[in-house]
Amino acid sequence: MTAQVTVLYFAKSAELSGLKEEELVAVPTPISSQGLWSLLLQRHPRLCVLQHQVVLAVRQQYVAIGDELVALGDGDEVAVVPPLSGG
Amino acid sequence: MTDEVGYLKAQLEEKEKDIVALKNKLAHLEKSNASVLELYEKVTPLTPLKAKASLSNEDIMRYSRQLLLPELGVQGQLNLSKTSVLVVGCGGLGCPLAQYLAAAGIGRLGLLDYDEVELSNLHRQVLHGEENQDQAKALSAANAIKRLNSTVECIPYHLQLSSENALQLIQQYDIVADCSDNVPTRYLVNDACVLSGKPLVSASALRMEGQLTVYNYHGGPCYRCLYPVPPPSETVTNCSDGGVLGVVPGIMGCFQALEVLKIASGQGSSCGQQLVMFDAQDARFRSIKLRPKQAGCAVCGENPSVTRLVDYEAFCGSAATDKCRKLNLLSRDQRITVQDYKSIMDTAEPHLLLDVRPLVEVDICHLPTSLNIPLSSLEYRKSEHIQLLQESISQLKQQMEGDCRPPVYVICKMGNDSQKAVQVMEKMSGSEVDSITVKDISGGLMAWAKRIDPTFPQY
Repeated sequence: MTAQVTVLYFAKSAELSGLKEEELVAVPTPISSQGLWSLLLQRHPRLCVLQHQVVLAVRQQYVAIGDELVALGDGDEVAVVPPLSGG
Repeated sequence: MTDEVGYLKAQLEEKEKDIVALKNKLAHLEKSNASVLELYEKVTPLTPLKAKASLSNEDIMRYSRQLLLPELGVQGQLNLSKTSVLVVGCGGLGCPLAQYLAAAGIGRLGLLDYDEVELSNLHRQVLHGEENQDQAKALSAANAIKRLNSTVECIPYHLQLSSENALQLIQQYDIVADCSDNVPTRYLVNDACVLSGKPLVSASALRMEGQLTVYNYHGGPCYRCLYPVPPPSETVTNCSDGGVLGVVPGIMGCFQALEVLKIASGQGSSCGQQLVMFDAQDARFRSIKLRPKQAGCAVCGENPSVTRLVDYEAFCGSAATDKCRKLNLLSRDQRITVQDYKSIMDTAEPHLLLDVRPLVEVDICHLPTSLNIPLSSLEYRKSEHIQLLQESISQLKQQMEGDCRPPVYVICKMGNDSQKAVQVMEKMSGSEVDSITVKDISGGLMAWAKRIDPTFPQY
């Protein structure tokens, strides 16, 4: 099974990927959250500097990057959110 | 006759009104002068904030428009008046935050900032004025707050928050607002809030984005639950490097004020387990539902390894400031000074001057002979830029008529990126481009402006 999802890139991840948003047409599902992150890293290797500093969210819900399985549906939103520190 | 009597009476009444108004104005001025603000250079114990038994007539009039809200009401207003809030950082977030908290009648405001007001702060740090340049930000903010609401007790702290003073300071306040501009301070404030059990209303902003979360609040996560490992310092962009549109921290600071007021008045915040993101470009707010606090968290978990404050600059590998750090990547013979470059220019020695700043900065100011290729284009070998570089170098080589290595001087704003660019170009030399001698100009264009050409703009 695969799903078509929209990936949103925020802050530093938008700068590193050069994108604010992209459609991924055939993401395998279910997929581990680590698998999902690895898939994004394959597309945008520069994201690897964010490895341990990023919040990954699926359908506006925090997902810890690890073994947890995520079921994706068509039209789901995946967000990559590194922290901002300026003020 | 009766007309004249009536006229005189009316005039007299008017004059009496004027006298009352003048007396009020005088009393108000005397009252605010009596409490001349004292700048605190260190943390000292404060007297506990007293709860008001009831609102005065003046309170009722001043706060009438918010007293009408069933969500606040008289009890909410009384709650505000007995709450103290520590504002860490009186910059782009801290200014609007402090302004709205004071306007709403918060009891006590601790205003902390180690820095002084600069001209480049004024586009976003809206409590400070032109006449406050070089003044301590904490004092400038406190004076502005006093003008707005003299009944709010303001305590300006002109000091750097540190592992030595943070607990003593934070313990004296009910709510902490993180309006800081750097990573070490964010971890320090978080840990101090966890250790002293205070809710932390935290916001941040950069460029056209903002984020907000209330940490350590009603079973929600702390900053370390979310970000257990600090980011490598070279991946952190601050406002002085990346820029920020003033209204973005303005919006986030106002949002912070809202959550502080909800907690202080007793309504409670709804951001305790939420990360709210603001995208100014799309004018959109999004929020991500977070997990509760983590049992394995190093500071708020079940077996914490952090039980007292640590060295946060060492932990994060960066300084607790948003000022640009100075890199030292090159040896002395790989660098020249701005004075050296001035004489190279004056003697018309053939060379290539390469400006590696982003285009948006080159548009602000640049030296007339420079070729602009941003550092990122060099790092990622952007083909049209590499081609441009190859052409410029081979032209220079032809012009020099010999098999020498043409000199390339690299410049940027402060002399950090230029060093990185020299390292990249040394790898390219002899393979991707003709062999070159490449050096950077130490201190960059800002050193040029300071030492060589005082008419050159600084930013």
